[in-house]
Amino acid sequence: MNPQERHYNINKLNVIFAASSVLLLAALVWLFVDDYSRGWKDYQKEFRALEIQKTRLKHSQTLSKLQAQEEYQSLGKVLEAARKDFAANCNSKELGKETAQQGAENDLLNQDYKFTKAGYDAARYRYESAAAHHPEDAGRAKEEFDRLDKKIQELRLAVERSNQAMKDREERSKACGAKLKELERQERVLAKDSRILETKLAKIDPHQMNLANRMADVVRDSPIIDFANPNYKIEQIVLADMREDLNFIDVPRVERCVTCHLGITNPDYKDSPQPFTTHPDLELFLGNESPHPLEEFGCTVCHGGRGRGTDFTSAAHTPSSEKQGEGWKEKYNWHELTHWDRPMSSRPYIQSGCFKCHSGQMVIPGAEKLNLGINLIEKAGCYNCHFIEQYKNWPKPGPDLTKLASKISKEWAYRWIDNPHAFRPDTWMPAFFNQSNTSDPQSVRRNQQEIHAIVHYLFNQGGEFALERMPSAGDPKRGEEIAASVGCLGCHQVTPPEEDQPTTRTLLRRLHGPNLSGIGNKTSSEWIYSWLKDPPQYHPETRMPNLRLSDGEAADVAAYLSGLKNSVYENVSVPALDEKVIDEVVLTFLSKSGTLQQAQAKLLSMSLDEKLDFSGLRLIRHYGCFSCHNIKGFEKDKPIGTELTFEGSKTPHQLDFGFIPIDHSAPAWFAQKLRDPRIFDKGRVKPHDEKLRMPNFKFTDEEVEAIVTVVLGLVKDGPPSKIVPRTMRNLFLEEGQKMVRLYNCQGCHILEAEGGAIQPTVKEWLIRYENRSANEAEAVVPSFSPPNLVGEGKKVQPKWLFDFVHEPVTIRPWLKVRMPRYKFTTTQLNTLVKYFSAQDNQEFPFAEKTDTALSREERQAAEKLFSKDYFDCAKCHIIGDKLPEGSPENWAPNFALAKERLKPQWVMDWIKNPQELLPGTKMPAYFDPTSLDTSGPDDILNGDEHEQIRVLRNYLMTLTDSYGTPVADAPASLPQTPASASF
Amino acid sequence: MESIKHFINIISAPYVMFPLILAVFFFIFPPTDRLLAIHKKLRLYKLWTNGGGIALFSSLIIIFAFGLTDSNFRRIVTKPDNVPIAGLIFLVVFFLWWSMKQAWENDERMAQGQGPREAEDAKEKVLVWPDLVYIELIALILCTVLLIVWSIFLKAPLEEPANPTVSPNPSKAPWYFLGLQEMLVYFDPWIAGVLFPTVIIIGMMAIPFLDTNEKGCGYYSFRERKMAVSIFMFFWLVLWVFLILVGTFLRGPNWNFFGPFEPWDISKLEALTNVNLSEIIYMIWLKQRLPQNIFLREIWGFLLIFFYFGAAPLLLAKTFLKNLYARLGSLRYSLFTFLLLMAVSLPIKMILRWVFNIKYIVAIPEFFFNI
Repeated sequence: MNPQERHYNINKLNVIFAASSVLLLAALVWLFVDDYSRGWKDYQKEFRALEIQKTRLKHSQTLSKLQAQEEYQSLGKVLEAARKDFAANCNSKELGKETAQQGAENDLLNQDYKFTKAGYDAARYRYESAAAHHPEDAGRAKEEFDRLDKKIQELRLAVERSNQAMKDREERSKACGAKLKELERQERVLAKDSRILETKLAKIDPHQMNLANRMADVVRDSPIIDFANPNYKIEQIVLADMREDLNFIDVPRVERCVTCHLGITNPDYKDSPQPFTTHPDLELFLGNESPHPLEEFGCTVCHGGRGRGTDFTSAAHTPSSEKQGEGWKEKYNWHELTHWDRPMSSRPYIQSGCFKCHSGQMVIPGAEKLNLGINLIEKAGCYNCHFIEQYKNWPKPGPDLTKLASKISKEWAYRWIDNPHAFRPDTWMPAFFNQSNTSDPQSVRRNQQEIHAIVHYLFNQGGEFALERMPSAGDPKRGEEIAASVGCLGCHQVTPPEEDQPTTRTLLRRLHGPNLSGIGNKTSSEWIYSWLKDPPQYHPETRMPNLRLSDGEAADVAAYLSGLKNSVYENVSVPALDEKVIDEVVLTFLSKSGTLQQAQAKLLSMSLDEKLDFSGLRLIRHYGCFSCHNIKGFEKDKPIGTELTFEGSKTPHQLDFGFIPIDHSAPAWFAQKLRDPRIFDKGRVKPHDEKLRMPNFKFTDEEVEAIVTVVLGLVKDGPPSKIVPRTMRNLFLEEGQKMVRLYNCQGCHILEAEGGAIQPTVKEWLIRYENRSANEAEAVVPSFSPPNLVGEGKKVQPKWLFDFVHEPVTIRPWLKVRMPRYKFTTTQLNTLVKYFSAQDNQEFPFAEKTDTALSREERQAAEKLFSKDYFDCAKCHIIGDKLPEGSPENWAPNFALAKERLKPQWVMDWIKNPQELLPGTKMPAYFDPTSLDTSGPDDILNGDEHEQIRVLRNYLMTLTDSYGTPVADAPASLPQTPASASF
Repeated sequence: MESIKHFINIISAPYVMFPLILAVFFFIFPPTDRLLAIHKKLRLYKLWTNGGGIALFSSLIIIFAFGLTDSNFRRIVTKPDNVPIAGLIFLVVFFLWWSMKQAWENDERMAQGQGPREAEDAKEKVLVWPDLVYIELIALILCTVLLIVWSIFLKAPLEEPANPTVSPNPSKAPWYFLGLQEMLVYFDPWIAGVLFPTVIIIGMMAIPFLDTNEKGCGYYSFRERKMAVSIFMFFWLVLWVFLILVGTFLRGPNWNFFGPFEPWDISKLEALTNVNLSEIIYMIWLKQRLPQNIFLREIWGFLLIFFYFGAAPLLLAKTFLKNLYARLGSLRYSLFTFLLLMAVSLPIKMILRWVFNIKYIVAIPEFFFNI
């Protein structure tokens, strides 16, 4: 071709083509490198180095430990000798040669037999076939067949003989080496740990590999080839029954977290740096024996985040603080993964994950922050304004206000609504007024009149509460002692709260009822007296029990309480009623249901009383006072707040951040909302009635964190397969726990290893009124406190428990603290009984059938055991009216109740080993549980301990009030409740 | 600095920017002799020289460089989705400049009695192989390199799993449909989404039959096809590319307008006070209630539409477009004016919206019929 015909210079084009091809090659190489180099590979390499280092160390440690073992050393010597012996006697050269030769002959013989057998089979066929189809050839075929038949018989004999000879030789050799084999086995057992580590090292440590393996170790990770079986690969757990909801489809969860978090289940990496660190609680999580094994639960179900992500950002890690976020940006080039709706929970809120599956439970062991949050939500009554499915049908936390006029004055009510925390800093009543969005002068003026209207309405409901006359003025001093001893302090405090007290669940139990300091300024002693005598009379749904105080005691306590003064409110002036502002309020509400003109006309026709009534009603509805308090006229109103059942599933764009410069994440929003519920109004221009109205509970930061943890746990996507099963037992437990929390049983009792909040006050009482030293008081506090209810389901009969909670009787007369009387319904009583049975895995309702009859001899034996000469039971135990000698802290429960109260099996277990059932009990152990058969007295019932315990138990079951003249089958009658019955 | 940004924010609002472009456009691409004279007087043709190209590009680069100092601008422009659109600006400007430069040079040559440059090229014989195929191969390789490097730097912009209950805000069409989406602001969906796209396709199919000008075939030229080029440029640059840019960079949450340096505030509110033509006529001018009868109520709008599509072509044929009418004949002329008026209705409606807050010319929501 003529070069002149070309438009372009071909040589130049060639150069450009070459250059661009090289460029393409470079780009392709770059592409490969970029695709091949992944962050997680670096982590895996780092981890491998760490693993090699750790394994080497462990190996050398085990090895030196092994070698230092005398047993191992001596075994080594013996083993060496045995090996030499084996080589000389059982495995010598000549012997080997002989064996080889014999083996070869044997093989040949076997082969010959097989071939002949094949020929024989064929000959048989030929003969059969010929006989059937060609009789003329049958004769020849028969000859052949017979010949082979004979030969095979001979061969078979020879083969069998030869095989036997081989077998004999083997047996001989085996017998000769048996000793060595046994020694080798012993050596393997001793060196097992070291061997395992050696094998592991051979797999991971290039220095321990042979050349071929070392080469393979490098090659298997090279690009493209690494599809087969690389060292460094994405590790993942596929959880088929844990679905991830992607709106149009749900897919199994795939957890690739373990790609980098390689040491997460291995306790050896406790102190290694992230991402290799071991999970902090392997017993509860991830371990194979734990309730949440890794293979079943994965990571993101609890932690959130994107399980499929394989780098730091795409896994949706969430920093615990802004500072940490900055650090991550620098270190990992991290940024928030805005396109993932379920980012990882940050560390402060980590326990919210538990609530996904455990939301039916009221206490989740181990999740302290979450439990605290749940408790706070119950105490503050969040569920009253914000419907939460879990709290459906829970009672209102605030007192009944229908008979308010009998209790407090209008002025006091005004001041209380205006600023409850001023009078009682630890009250659960939140502050509605003087908040960040209502502190401008105009709002303040309006709020003042709003409070007037609310107070007016509350005092106008017409509820009657006839105050009982006190029998006497009462003795405040005696009242104080009664209040300190009978159990008031399990729920109430009588001193103002300490500053900066950390909120714990124990503290919350002591804050179950209102703090009573200052009650004297709030109400009259008559009211307190009437209330104490019969709380439900004033507030039918109250959770305050009846302490069964006598009239005199009640008067004393009333006198004491009304002497507790707090004059904070004395100096607060109540602004005058301002009809003009009231008009404004009325107009706001009137114009909502009609035109402004109609509203104005209506307003003109109203008297001041009507205006106050009308605006009071509407304001109570507006602020939702009725959610927590019983108020007449609001029986059918619905909660006013946002439903929170699935609040944790909300994404940030469903929340209004207003103009507040905080992190745009749901946790930050919730925390900010709880710290200052009105904050998101800041900078907004709103009419008064459209302003945010959530009241301020003055939560501390740690309380906020706990509550936010719970709210974040209120989610839709709990994995159905893992939610705690709704078995009967679990339902009984849940229902029971709910009651325990509602009625603050743990304020006095220890239940599920928690509670007994009253004990410090018992100690104080002992010091103050019983003249005990502090140490002494500390030691005997459990004896003077309400009993520990561990194992109660196993211990007492359901019927008795039912009756007892319904109408308590005295079991421990030495106790000053009293089991109060609650107005429980039958359902509630059953709930409690079922709860205790479920606690201890007891059959319900009928536990056991035990024959407690005694023969004459058995009775005598039992009486002996019971007597002073042996166990001296009556030294501590009360029997009917007969009190033991000695100081009350050593007294023990009334035997006369045993028959009705205790489960027979429990009594036996108890006598056998009281410490096991109730650790720390002062009941002495008469038998040694570790060597029961030798520990009892030998001269009774032939020293048969089991029999001794049985007859003693049966004997106890016969004791009645009239001790001294026990009759075997006399029905034990329940003692009548004395006026001052206690536990 | 802040005041410059503020100024840019203000002028980039469509109701400022669009009239500005309208005002300048026909001087840069003059469709008539008179405008061409002004164009020459203003020496706007300098744009199509090397110096003009350098000026155009350096100003673009300066604008971008300045913009990238601002975090909002940076966030929008460097979003992996938007990077190609930023590239589109440079590409469109480059090819526009290049073709106009050649057109202008040819015009100069032809004014001096020479033929266009392409006429000389035509004498030369160029082989498909190797000349064409070879450079195509090289271009292919280089494009592949570009795409590979691009894919390494900008990862696929994946978003969260689609959720039927949460629509992204702003919800944007693919970039090539953003012009159509922008039209939805001014027209009912049936017009913006159905009628206009159909007319655009039919109109483009009709071009060879309408355009009888034989000049300018096979070479770049502006002066020989002033009208055609400037109409095309108007629709292509202003009503297509410009609207795509607006849709990509300047429309934020709730389809609100945001200047390039303005943060995308999801709660930004703009007063919606648009009125229909009937409301302007009856309520504001005549101070009457709207008639109950739909037809009576909308008669003015119908009259206006009738006038626009029926009477206006006739009037134009007698006045401004007398020559065109003579050249095209009645059928071609009526088709041409119909298409042109249809297309021009978009900028007209935009201006009516901004200036008079007009929502619809004809508004019959009773039958979902709004124009």
